[in-house]
Amino acid sequence: MEEKYLTVTALTRYLKYKFDSDSNLRKVYLRGEISNFKSHTTGHFYFSLKDETSKINAIMFKTNTSKLNFTPTEGMKVLVTGSISVYEATGNYQIYVEDMLEDGVGNLYIAFEQLKKKLEQEGLFDLKHKKPIPKIPEKVGIVTASTGAAIRDILSTIHRRFPLCKTYLFPCLVQGENAAKDIVKKIKQANEYPLDVLIVGRGGGSFEDLNCFNDEEVARTIFASTIPVISAVGHEVDYTIADFVADLRAPTPTGAAELAVPNLVDLKHQLTQYHIRLNESIIKKVKIQKLYLESFKSSFAIKNPMLLFENKRQKLDVLYEQLIRSIQSYVERKKNALYQLQTHYILSNPKQLYEPSKQMLKNIIEKLELLNPLSVLKRGYSLTYHNDTLLHHIASLKKGDQIMVKLYDGDIYANIERIEKQNGKNKKI
Amino acid sequence: MEKTKKFEENIKELEQIINELETGEIDLDESINKYTTAMKLVKECDEKLKTVEEQVSKMVLENGEEEPFEVIDN
Repeated sequence: MEEKYLTVTALTRYLKYKFDSDSNLRKVYLRGEISNFKSHTTGHFYFSLKDETSKINAIMFKTNTSKLNFTPTEGMKVLVTGSISVYEATGNYQIYVEDMLEDGVGNLYIAFEQLKKKLEQEGLFDLKHKKPIPKIPEKVGIVTASTGAAIRDILSTIHRRFPLCKTYLFPCLVQGENAAKDIVKKIKQANEYPLDVLIVGRGGGSFEDLNCFNDEEVARTIFASTIPVISAVGHEVDYTIADFVADLRAPTPTGAAELAVPNLVDLKHQLTQYHIRLNESIIKKVKIQKLYLESFKSSFAIKNPMLLFENKRQKLDVLYEQLIRSIQSYVERKKNALYQLQTHYILSNPKQLYEPSKQMLKNIIEKLELLNPLSVLKRGYSLTYHNDTLLHHIASLKKGDQIMVKLYDGDIYANIERIEKQNGKNKKI
Repeated sequence: MEKTKKFEENIKELEQIINELETGEIDLDESINKYTTAMKLVKECDEKLKTVEEQVSKMVLENGEEEPFEVIDN
């Protein structure tokens, strides 16, 4: 009788066996919303997954929870993978979660990564496309929601830092299905205004909330904007596609305002510095010029003006001499050339060739004439011969010798009558 | 718009002139000319910065109309 009755343990074990042996329950893909979430100090997660009508307990052990890249929170929609079994102590069946993804967001994240990669490859994030942000804008456009912290922070920051700046809000939706289209429209509208810089953004929110700034068209519109764009989406840690494509990323809306406008106090200080530097530089310049002038005044040349003149004059003299020399040498060269021509001409003149010979011949003739003894006879001298010998002395002669006296025009034959030595008559014929 | 651009351009021009003057490589006449120009720029910028009238923010509507805008604190 009693044998019919099972123990609780036995039943539970049986049920557990049934669950465990069902291959359909060994790997279950389940979608649901987290509730009663508890993160135990051991690192295990205890929670329930529910939808509109049903609920299942769930447990995720530390070995699996440590692999998650997000922290599950109450109400979060998730996709889990796991197996179903029975926890014998409570008799509850539950899902032993091995892996968990954020429902929707997971897909959004994949889409984000894909779009980021695509636009990056297209070069939309390249630094060369980044437009410089003007230092001192006077008209700032803002594309964000007309309510909320973002616009408040931006405007108060701009007014505090640089009250001279005009601000133009282009109000737009910043979350939800139509937000991306609205953002695109407002950026385009802003581009028709003569703005110096455009802030595009919103305050913090969940990944889904910010997702309109991960829209491809928003990214391309920001890229095409002729006005430099500063992105300001969410908090410091949030990065959206808009941030990558913007000319400058600000960590927060307040940060964007700080990057967009200068601080008036700094600007005034800068201007004062410029004023000072300007005055100092001109004073310095005048001083230097004065010194220069002084040095010039005391220079040797100014003190001895004649020296300048002397130098010039000396130079003139040198030039004059050079001129004369060059003319002289020119004339000399021409003269030489002429002389050479003349010489050549003279030497080749035949008269010139025989003239010396003629002169020489004349000289020889004259000499010969002088030497002709007969010519002496013309002047009245005579020659006396004895026995055909020309007489030089009287010593060999004696009275009665016949002598012959030769005169210019004939010979005389005579006999010696008397001989007288010098101081008397030498002889008488 | 013109004035806006001019302000930043003025500052840039001012910077450039000061840098040129500080090199001391420009002759005196030109230095004085540049100084005069720069002083005008300083004065212009200074006057501009002194007009502390708070600018009213404007909201641009989709039809292009502009209206004064103030943040409503909730």
